[in-house]
Amino acid sequence: MATLKPPSSRPVPTGPPKAPLKADPTATIADTAVFQGTYPVTIGAGTIIHPRARFYAYQGPIVVGDGCIISEKAIIGAQPARSTESKEIATRLSYFVTVGPSSTIHPGAHIHSSVTIEALATIHQYAEIGSHSKICSGCEVPENGKVDEWVVVYGSGLGQRRKRAREANEPGPAVVIAAQVAQVPVPGPAPKGKVIEDARLMVLQKEREVLARMIVPAGAKKK
Amino acid sequence: MSRPFPYTYISCPCADTPVPDPARKRRSRGTPQKSPNPEQPNVDNEDKKPQEEENEDEEEEEQTFDPRSPRSNFSLYPPEQLLYCEDCHQIKCPRCITEEIVSWYCPNCLFETPSSMVRSDGNRCGRNCFNCPTCTAPLAVSTIENVTGNGSQQGPWVLSCGYCMWTTLDIGIKFDKPTNIRTQLQKMTDATATPSYDRSRQASRTFGDLKSPLSSYASIDEQSASREGSGEQSATNEDTIPTPDLGTDARFAALKSFYRTQISETSTSPGDPLGSDLGFSSPGALNRLMSLYASSSRLSGLYGGNKKQKSKPPVMREALTSSEGLRIAPDNGDADVIERLGSQECGWDGVASIEQRQDQSPDVRFADDLIPLPCLLRTKRAKRCKSCKHILVKPETKPQSTRFRIRLIALSYIPLPTLRPLALPSSSSMMSAPIPDLNSLPPLRPVHVLLTLKNHMFDPVRITLATPSVTPGRVASKVTVLSPQFDIGANSDVWDEALQNASAPVTGDPKLATLRGVPEAGKVWDKGRNWTTVVLEVVPGTLPGSEAEGGNEVTAKDGTLATQQDEDVLEIPVFVHMEWDAEAQLEQQNVGKASKPDDLVARELAYWMVLGVGRIQASL
Repeated sequence: MATLKPPSSRPVPTGPPKAPLKADPTATIADTAVFQGTYPVTIGAGTIIHPRARFYAYQGPIVVGDGCIISEKAIIGAQPARSTESKEIATRLSYFVTVGPSSTIHPGAHIHSSVTIEALATIHQYAEIGSHSKICSGCEVPENGKVDEWVVVYGSGLGQRRKRAREANEPGPAVVIAAQVAQVPVPGPAPKGKVIEDARLMVLQKEREVLARMIVPAGAKKK
Repeated sequence: MSRPFPYTYISCPCADTPVPDPARKRRSRGTPQKSPNPEQPNVDNEDKKPQEEENEDEEEEEQTFDPRSPRSNFSLYPPEQLLYCEDCHQIKCPRCITEEIVSWYCPNCLFETPSSMVRSDGNRCGRNCFNCPTCTAPLAVSTIENVTGNGSQQGPWVLSCGYCMWTTLDIGIKFDKPTNIRTQLQKMTDATATPSYDRSRQASRTFGDLKSPLSSYASIDEQSASREGSGEQSATNEDTIPTPDLGTDARFAALKSFYRTQISETSTSPGDPLGSDLGFSSPGALNRLMSLYASSSRLSGLYGGNKKQKSKPPVMREALTSSEGLRIAPDNGDADVIERLGSQECGWDGVASIEQRQDQSPDVRFADDLIPLPCLLRTKRAKRCKSCKHILVKPETKPQSTRFRIRLIALSYIPLPTLRPLALPSSSSMMSAPIPDLNSLPPLRPVHVLLTLKNHMFDPVRITLATPSVTPGRVASKVTVLSPQFDIGANSDVWDEALQNASAPVTGDPKLATLRGVPEAGKVWDKGRNWTTVVLEVVPGTLPGSEAEGGNEVTAKDGTLATQQDEDVLEIPVFVHMEWDAEAQLEQQNVGKASKPDDLVARELAYWMVLGVGRIQASL
């Protein structure tokens, strides 16, 4: 096993500045995750950082809330720009956010809780994504763009948007008409759309538990 | 011609041969032939042109194939797309085959659907395969029991999309069972007008009406439907309480039964041409209608102007109540729709797109009204020769299998042509000249191209190539095949040859081939186990109106001189004639005999192919 590990001490004498990392002890951070920059990076409790995820805190602090999953090769923040703005731009990920592989979140984005960002999606600067939303793979949210709560962005590029069911929805007109014609009572209200989201979050919790056991944490190599 | 240069196309002879004409085939069979083989007299004939008259033969055969003629577009195919009929001994293109469906299957669950089910249930999966109405991704059946706290695998079920997170809860539908979702959904979203129907009957009827309005009813169903229609009519005449609008499919069924009763009621007299029991839909009724129009007296009688006709034909009325299928637009329907369009929660994203509405009921305007649709079925098809009905391609019936029982592709019978430019070593130095750029060939400068023919048959083949010395069309390029007659070896075992000629020098190495000197007339360029390469010398012509032509004419003024589209593409028609000795087929001649050398039958095949060499430069 030891031979399979990458060389633990790479000579990086004049490398990029390492961002001050403030991680909760229950967070699992892979040893090959990259934290660069001058501003602090905060990682919440129970969050999983996959190997080779990159955090660039050059333009402002990065805050990742509790119970998030940051997948491989995801990039949060940006490399230092040439025209350095003096203003500090904070990037925020709230609770239970899932960031897919190779997706990019530019600085200044604010991602609310329980958002799913799929693989290869791009969130541009200052975009705001409401809670329980989903950015499907390959989609983009433009600069200063705002995605409401419980909205799915799908398709390609800026994509189309769709509102997810949150409360119990009335049966559609086709169902009502059919019930009237057949003279049977209209079927009772379906469960709230929220139950689907609850189930998803439960599955996510299980996924985090398994991942925490599988990922080699950053401190393990010291042993 | 979208392929990159160089390309080769093979012309299917069917473009000039009216294939499904057995009479002509018989006639051509009767013409005397020089072919030694009595059972293939028509091979030679059909390859080229159909000859109606004997005296036309000479003239027809000399006609060259013009790759630029508009008709040739329809006969040119890449070699790998062609099939070969072993009975006709002829190349078959997608236009000279017929297709028949071997099986229907659902691409999602890979279950085969019997054709009777396809006819009755429509061309959609009858199980649990649904597509998302929003994004067309397949939907999964999932339970929501672990949240609602029911027992193991009990609770209500939903269809959910893994991509856009659409679930049937969005349209307020849940299912009680994880199986037969289609029937459950059908019951929920569509019902026929009469509640007196028993459940199973209703389901089957709505299924029948759902996707196949063209399918004919079973006779019992038909009669009962018409009877019920008439009963309904009397009932609804009494009470005029507006019944709720029917669903689209139910309304279609109601209208259908209504008009059927109308036909049977209005045409009671036995002499009436619209005679009762047939109905408009039957071909018998159509015949009667046609004869009715043919005789003028009956025609005028139909319009009520004739005195012979005693009674005016009874007038058919239209549907009057909603149970008959009438639907009146709601009073403020449009206003409602507009209001909803402009409302805050709908907006642009709430309106169903054209793609989403395509397969839905025509009333659906908003994304919330979309209903999941079962997967469309796919087919496996067998292909037959149009002229002799011989099966050319037959896939395995099972949807899981990708194998073919029969697959007669043309490349196992005709040599595969490949083309590549030849870079000649320049005479002075050992440095070989650069390979000419095929996308801009300089006019009037000779180019050598190598044409390789690779034989896939197990018999050696003699090939004769013929090409017009000047290509047809306005851009006249000169073409010379340096060795028009040559042999190609049989497609023997690769290892046999390799073991026999272990000491022989390696031929066919392309690097060596480029250094083997200048192409000579009458000499094959290179030869391998089952392939032969010959050299074509091409002198590209000048484009009309280009500088090379003299430059006196002004192209802009004279529209006809301007280069037409793709006229600068250098395409060479080549006539290929191949002869080989094949083993006689057992069922035809030598039943029971052992195969001897004298069982060999000389066969021949001839066709045109087109070599796309490149594009001619406009200027020198």
